[in-house]
Amino acid sequence: MIGAALTIARVKLVLEIRRREVIFAMLLFIAATIVIVHFALSGDTGAGTRAAAGMLWAAVVFTAVLGLLRTFSAEHEGGVLDALLLAPIDRAAIWLGTALAQFGFLVVIEVVAVPVWWALFFQQDGPSIGTVVVALLLADIGIALVGTLSAALALGARTRDVLLPVLVLPLLIPVVLGGVTATYGAFGEEVGGLQPLGFLALYDLVFIALAWGTSDHLLGD
Amino acid sequence: MQPPVITLTECSKRFGERLALRKATLRVAGGETVVVLGPNGAGKSTLLRLVAGLLRPTAGSARIGDVEAISAPKDVRAGIAYAGHQPQLYRGLTASENLALHLRLHQTTADTQALLEQVGLGDRADERIDGFSRGMLQRLALARATAHQPVLLLLDEPASGLDADGRALLDDTLRAGIGQRTQLVASHDHELAARLGVREVRLDNGGIA
Repeated sequence: MIGAALTIARVKLVLEIRRREVIFAMLLFIAATIVIVHFALSGDTGAGTRAAAGMLWAAVVFTAVLGLLRTFSAEHEGGVLDALLLAPIDRAAIWLGTALAQFGFLVVIEVVAVPVWWALFFQQDGPSIGTVVVALLLADIGIALVGTLSAALALGARTRDVLLPVLVLPLLIPVVLGGVTATYGAFGEEVGGLQPLGFLALYDLVFIALAWGTSDHLLGD
Repeated sequence: MQPPVITLTECSKRFGERLALRKATLRVAGGETVVVLGPNGAGKSTLLRLVAGLLRPTAGSARIGDVEAISAPKDVRAGIAYAGHQPQLYRGLTASENLALHLRLHQTTADTQALLEQVGLGDRADERIDGFSRGMLQRLALARATAHQPVLLLLDEPASGLDADGRALLDDTLRAGIGQRTQLVASHDHELAARLGVREVRLDNGGIA
């Protein structure tokens, strides 16, 4: 199953490298969002660590949704999903391979976006970067899992471009909550009883189990 | 693996208000080739997708051997090939890469170059298929469908877009499969069954005539 999932993920990454349909748009969107918010705050680096943390996570989530809109587009346009469904592989492998590719896209855009965010909002006293990176990686797993699951749900709908954000954004509220809290905590601030990294990891585990159990139904008839 | 028997029993499929297939009953023996004829909208594609397990019947059943097609396990799916209206190929990959992917997912090996030469695409192996014509995509879809040596071959209007050479290639492929595998072919070609010397069934308005 892992082999089939890796095969599917590799194909999607190859397609993206050749066509540059998703990552390029995501990069432009997140960079523009960070810059616009920076100017909206009049370049005021003292706007508060919470505002900076919230801005990063809002930008990540909305950028992820932009990428998720193209999640199964390569399979949809050529009828490839039929071939994948008929292949002698676990249907969970289709979902897992797609989620792995989505995870890869998110990591690539964050490698560019986080330094931009850092440079614009923190000239000197930024957060502990290690904590922020771990929070982003845990969040990326959750976003990829939930996003792929939602994209599979919306696959047959004529209005899937509208339906997908409606489905996925409420499900990503816990990711934003955990991410913002982790980032705020990375400034050395008191974050209360919530252990944000553990919370993000738990979120990932819940959706791994949920997607695993439902992928046969979601990707079938 | 023994060639499967297709059994449709009072099988119906409804899409919203539209009844695409109406109480169809059909049995195709192992190794038999059957041509399904009918006008556009008669229900041919729906019938093939039900047999492939890509659609769930609204009523009745569609079985392959002893199992419901919709819940066919991996070892049964391994023996099925379905080529529909769309080529089921990644547009951003080359012809050779598409076949290699198909073989990898079916956990089997074959010479992709030889497969492409069989369908007249040997010299286009390394070209991305988003530049292929409809006929070339149809040839490649045929190569993909037969690459893993299926025991059940389901083809939905496989001649559409093919030139004369392509249609001859298709006839040869189907002829070679007679008695070797079970073949169910949806077609508008009223001469196909006679040319192949096989049974034909007619679908009209969702029902088998």
